[in-house]
Amino acid sequence: MTDHHRRPRLAALGLWAGAGGAAAVLAAGLGGGAVAHVGATGVVKERMDLMMEIGDATKAIADMLRGTQPYDAERMRAMARRIEGHGGEAMTSLFPDGSLDHPSEALPAIWTEWERFERLADLMADQAGALARAADNPRGPMQRGGGMMGGSGIMSGSGMMGGGMMGGGGPSAEDLAAMPPDAAFRHLAQTCSACHEAYREEQ
Amino acid sequence: MRRTGWIAAAVALAIAAGGAGTWLIGGPTAPPRDLTDLTGDVNRGAYVARLAGCIPCHTDSEAGGAVLAGGGPLKTEFGIFYGPNITPHETDGVGAWTLEQFAAAVTEGRAPDGSHYYPSFPYAFYTRLSDQDIVDLWAAVRSVPAVEGRAPPHDLAFPYTVRAGLGAWKRLYLDPEPAPADWPRGRYLAEVAHCGACHTPRTALGGRDADRRFAGAPTPGGGTIPAITGAALTEAGWTVEDLAYSLVSGVKPDGDVYGGAMARVVQGGTQFWSATDRDALAVYLFEGALGAPITEGETQ
Repeated sequence: MTDHHRRPRLAALGLWAGAGGAAAVLAAGLGGGAVAHVGATGVVKERMDLMMEIGDATKAIADMLRGTQPYDAERMRAMARRIEGHGGEAMTSLFPDGSLDHPSEALPAIWTEWERFERLADLMADQAGALARAADNPRGPMQRGGGMMGGSGIMSGSGMMGGGMMGGGGPSAEDLAAMPPDAAFRHLAQTCSACHEAYREEQ
Repeated sequence: MRRTGWIAAAVALAIAAGGAGTWLIGGPTAPPRDLTDLTGDVNRGAYVARLAGCIPCHTDSEAGGAVLAGGGPLKTEFGIFYGPNITPHETDGVGAWTLEQFAAAVTEGRAPDGSHYYPSFPYAFYTRLSDQDIVDLWAAVRSVPAVEGRAPPHDLAFPYTVRAGLGAWKRLYLDPEPAPADWPRGRYLAEVAHCGACHTPRTALGGRDADRRFAGAPTPGGGTIPAITGAALTEAGWTVEDLAYSLVSGVKPDGDVYGGAMARVVQGGTQFWSATDRDALAVYLFEGALGAPITEGETQ
């Protein structure tokens, strides 16, 4: 940093109402560390294992869709069915009220928004089941087609930023099952993401 | 004589101090841009909005809010920010604004009444926007339905509540210059998408630590925002293709799916990018960011 920048920095330090001290304390308290699944027991361990299995299946699917592994419809179906089986109640039953023991990454919002949490877990199962049924469909682009800003005038189109992406009102399971697996998987991944965003502490 | 000299010195000092204070509190001014000859294109502007990540902070998608009508909480080390309503509503949004006022807001962090925005509004990055992108963005913002209502006020910890400090902050951390024409696309995208807003650690005063660009940062919850330097990504086992794919799908190479703020970034922004732009950003982060002089890239 040059002198040119150093001088105003000093002045600003004084100006910002003691910011230096207060903020340094604040910042010091914020140091975090990565927490792995190590040390998990009981239901927390069970659901972490479940999530790991979903992640492994997701990886297998993504690798095929990305082309880093050859596409195999049989394997696609098997992996999607595995995710389906881990959704719904198989998942929600592993989140008993207030189960936040270390090293859980669950957020308490799960229990204040239990219905939404359940809905997302059900949606995940439904979408994964639809993906299994889409496994033999012709392949297509991962990304939503050019309609992004098309027609309806940019950002007003509900599809583009509407509630569907956050876990409500998206395409039906029937619609998904008729899509290219690439597109169906995109919707499934968005459900994972919506749930993680709301209910998982990022480590 | 001696007494008169003292008074003169004191007056001179007071004027100088006052001037310095005004200089500090006023903050820097962006170089003037002549936008009058440019025509905004709504569709291109919508794409710029996706590049710049306007929607994730100005739309409360989770609560089913209308587009650009105000965002959900943005939790930071400094408190909780709420992106305001920027629909063309006459009083609650930006309906009464001119293009010049919009440009000043975006490139200088200055509201039409002259006050400063908090840098949670990433104008320190948007100041790199090209003239055409600003005009297009404005056309897109003007095109959404006007919606009544305002976002909640920011909920900040002292001393960040003291807005007078923002001018000084800008003097320190805002370098209001548009991107040079010779920047590679990936570098422009990294700026406009303001990756560094979260992935570059901040000083106690809330400025980005220029020496640790993209080196990762703490989250308010005690977690860690990962480093996105090429070296860090490589060490974590990521490739350029992994990163580009995660920006369209949210899926990481290990099969995990983004949560947190990155979920919003993908869902509201990068999934709508062209494959070319996602690739350009990924390549830049892996290969270009380290060599780029920080004085031109990130504000300093």
